[in-house]
Amino acid sequence: MTIVDETTGLPERSVANTRTFPASVGLMKRSMVNIVRLPSAFVPSLVMPIFQTIAFAGTFFAITQIPGFPTDRSINWFLPLGVIMGSGFAGIGIGFATIRDLEGGFYDRLRLTPAPRASLIVGPLLSALVRSFIVTTVVFAVGSLFGARLTHGPSGLIPLYLAGLGIASIGTGWGLGLAYRFRDMRAAAIMQLTFFLLIFLTEAQTPLSVMEGWLEHVARINPFNQVIGLARLGFLDQPMTWNETWTGLLALVVIVALTMVFARRGLDKLSDE
Amino acid sequence: MPTTSTNSLPIEAIGLQRTFGTGDEQVKAVDGVDLQIQQGEIFGFLGPNGAGKSTTVRMLTTLLRPTGGIGRVAGFDVVEQANDVRRNIGVALQDAAIDPLMTGSELLHLQAVLYGLPKSTHATKAGELLERVGLTAAGNRRVGTYSGGMRRRLDLALSLIHEPTVLFLDEPTTGLDPMSRISLWEEIRRLNNDGTTVMLTTQYLEEADQLTERIAIIDHGVIVRKGRPSELKAEVGSPTLFVSVDAAATEPATTLLAGFGELRPSPEGTLGVGLTDGPSAVSNVIRTLDDAGITVRNLELHEPSLDDVFAEATGYRLEGADA
Repeated sequence: MTIVDETTGLPERSVANTRTFPASVGLMKRSMVNIVRLPSAFVPSLVMPIFQTIAFAGTFFAITQIPGFPTDRSINWFLPLGVIMGSGFAGIGIGFATIRDLEGGFYDRLRLTPAPRASLIVGPLLSALVRSFIVTTVVFAVGSLFGARLTHGPSGLIPLYLAGLGIASIGTGWGLGLAYRFRDMRAAAIMQLTFFLLIFLTEAQTPLSVMEGWLEHVARINPFNQVIGLARLGFLDQPMTWNETWTGLLALVVIVALTMVFARRGLDKLSDE
Repeated sequence: MPTTSTNSLPIEAIGLQRTFGTGDEQVKAVDGVDLQIQQGEIFGFLGPNGAGKSTTVRMLTTLLRPTGGIGRVAGFDVVEQANDVRRNIGVALQDAAIDPLMTGSELLHLQAVLYGLPKSTHATKAGELLERVGLTAAGNRRVGTYSGGMRRRLDLALSLIHEPTVLFLDEPTTGLDPMSRISLWEEIRRLNNDGTTVMLTTQYLEEADQLTERIAIIDHGVIVRKGRPSELKAEVGSPTLFVSVDAAATEPATTLLAGFGELRPSPEGTLGVGLTDGPSAVSNVIRTLDDAGITVRNLELHEPSLDDVFAEATGYRLEGADA
């Protein structure tokens, strides 16, 4: 016999409230399964930063001759950039995957569940963090084989990982927010263009001291510059102090918060189509 | 103590509206839909492509925010209590949108997680549902390798993981072969016998005739007919005679047929007329056309069907519908 709710007179609901964390972990697992089954969606974000680190370090080895350049190893300068790029890809890749789900209709099935809306963002975010961790570890390992050295010991890895995870979070928030708003591949181009433009309009390649004109002005106010600075802290011949660290962390926290709000509002907009 | 009072309807829409775009480009996809679906009912929601069926379903299932009116499902408001609605409904969407990289079993597990079911029940539930829809052997295969019918069945299984009290099926048999369609109909009947209220949107009039107790026909965002199929057929009244003549004779034949009753929408290449005097008028029609020198190439008489109801309500027939 069907049990009936006294208030509504309808059959009693059979499902309890879904909690955010288990739902997020479920979505993260799905994303990881997809990486294994569709490696082509992840491998480029792993290979590109490795290639970029090695190629840039080899091509621009003379950059260390610039007076006052903070390291005598070009790979120490470019490895953190590779990590930032790879982590950015990891985050933006989540945006691409979400576009596929939106276009294919699978995202409707996710939205039809009573899982907290936050889990639809946190789940992919966790996946991006795992991807970023893998990319950072692999790029560091390969970079070390090519001569990269931590100038302050293993503690220098902490800012590198923090910057990578932060950039992956930013990429995820930005990617999801755009995917929700455009709901098709138009968002993909905007994600990549804006994200990597912002990263390259920094000290990504050369220090501020050798930049001139508008490039220097933009790089000076671009908060991503602080993030790249954070990633490089453990690889430069200069002190790794709190004073050098907090600006990068602050930039990360602010941009991550903004992009997460951007994603959350975008998710709400899906119901407005 | 459980009661059996019925204060709320499982599905209710009052003046439900949905507008897309702004200014001159504004389109009213759904324009004041009223629906009252009773507990334990299979309700058919019919309409041609673009009539507003899916938009209505998307609003009632919380995927799309209405721009006007009220929608209540399982006693909860679709806007203010969206998550309560989601907990109580199962939805099989039009395109069987399923991640092709995952296996059927993995998708059922994910669905169980997202519905907050106890972890200890996941494997049992997944196994039971796979068996119920006949996919046990394919449960560990990636969905990308499934046929259209298998995807539909998995989609139905996914929508049942939490034993919903209300089930929305949006064109569940579109594109299926006849055997798969009949198998899905049996499953829908079984669910309904277990007490599940079903709202079924379909373009197949035979499907609506077979499964539903009541139907509503929507056209241009407005409900144009509502009621029991038998009542609606009776309202159409007279049988429809479909006549095929040579193309050159279409115009005079149309004029002559109009003398026997109202002209009705008909499949391409034929003329349709509702015979006011019933089947006995057929011989008179043939004689009249013959006297006018018009050769009848084919002739079919149909008792009122849902297709006639549909045609009378919307002004046209569904492609492929049984005349």
